[in-house]
Amino acid sequence: MSVPKNTGGKGLDLLRNLPRISLANLRPNPGAKKAEKRRGRGAHGGSRSGRGHKGQRQRGNRPRLGFEGGQTPFYLVIPKYGYNEGHSRKPQYQPLSLNRLQYLIDLGRIDPTQPIDLTQLVNGRGVTVQPLKRDYGVQLVEEGADTFCAKVNIEVQMASECAIAAIEKNGGIITTGFYDPRSLSLLCKPVPFFMRGQPIPKRMLPGEDLVPYYTDSKNRGYLSDPAKIQQARLELARKYGYVLPDVTKDELFHMLTTRKDPRQIFFGLAPGWVVNMAEKKILKPTDEKLLSYYSS
Amino acid sequence: MAASMLRRVSVCASRFSLGTLRIQAGFLHGNTGNEFRSAYSLEKIYPNSSFNYGSRAVGGGQQTDSDIPVDRLTITYCRSSGPGGQNVNKVNTKAEVRFHIQTADWIPEDVRQKIISQHTNRINRSGELIVTSEVSRYQMRNLSDCLQKIRDMIAAASVKHKQPSQEDVALRRYR
Repeated sequence: MSVPKNTGGKGLDLLRNLPRISLANLRPNPGAKKAEKRRGRGAHGGSRSGRGHKGQRQRGNRPRLGFEGGQTPFYLVIPKYGYNEGHSRKPQYQPLSLNRLQYLIDLGRIDPTQPIDLTQLVNGRGVTVQPLKRDYGVQLVEEGADTFCAKVNIEVQMASECAIAAIEKNGGIITTGFYDPRSLSLLCKPVPFFMRGQPIPKRMLPGEDLVPYYTDSKNRGYLSDPAKIQQARLELARKYGYVLPDVTKDELFHMLTTRKDPRQIFFGLAPGWVVNMAEKKILKPTDEKLLSYYSS
Repeated sequence: MAASMLRRVSVCASRFSLGTLRIQAGFLHGNTGNEFRSAYSLEKIYPNSSFNYGSRAVGGGQQTDSDIPVDRLTITYCRSSGPGGQNVNKVNTKAEVRFHIQTADWIPEDVRQKIISQHTNRINRSGELIVTSEVSRYQMRNLSDCLQKIRDMIAAASVKHKQPSQEDVALRRYR
């Protein structure tokens, strides 16, 4: 793998050898500019101009959105109620069943020999997460707990107790971690972010409501006390009646115990780094203020 | 603005893939793959704590008394009853736990006798105590329910009524 001798590469060479750029030698790529359909001109845009035949439609007098001709519209028929208050702002977690996880691993869409992250799940098209629609991540659901038999190191945003038990029973490790909406969209679509050339931001800490969840070892929270996690694992093994496997004796021990720092979004990349996809390089800050900011 | 901030930048060619995880000596709080530690890393929030992924607790097995030795039990799964169509017909979700009560030395002798007397209906001819559960749709949940029932039985049988002391008896007689 040879490193290019001059930064800028082929582009700079071209600039040196070609004639001066002017309006006379510039042209858009074929197919880039599609001519717009101008209404009210010619055979195809003229005549009725795409408005239909007579009536409110053609005359531009249609009633407002949601109007049902006088019948009480749907959005007014349904009564308001307290439990629906703020429904569009409540955080949502896309469910991921153990059935589905096993299916993905069996088909080879998810690699169990590497830590499983939301990025891996999205790359394997296992889940679809929409950060812009108040999705805050993925929750692990126990459907398929009885037939789950994969040893994985998985990081989700929420997990039910039975799902945690099923993962640990097979010798895996499960962690629940919080991603704020910006970090979540980065996690789901890392490559478009790297193309932007912005430094990787640091992951924000959970809000007041979620701090108790993520500091509890029963939920295997990423901010919980490491010593209490083993206690929680043993209690769960006692409750569900299985022998807790010894992860330290595993050959994949190093992979299974890989965990992200609470401020880290991507494995292997720290906040503050800029990833240059075109030249396959990583730029790291050296200024003290930047370093102290990104490690705070 | 970002460009001016990164004026004194160090350009380093590095590989993207996770394939090269360096072996960390002195693993304490988990590895992040690149030794990045923020102010909120677990080492800083819990300085004296460390991960322990063995199969035993740190201070040895303290909970052997209240623990049920699962390898001494016979666990079988069969199909549950009730409605549910094809799913209930095919999926084995009912959990049944059996163990020979007389030879169960993990239960104290007097508690054992109490259990035998209280739950004679659950003990079959060969002397095995049978506990079943089909409360949920998952084998794991049903098994945990069976174990909880066994624990409840042991707890109920271990209850010792306080014997009134001599003073209390005398007071009662006086009154």
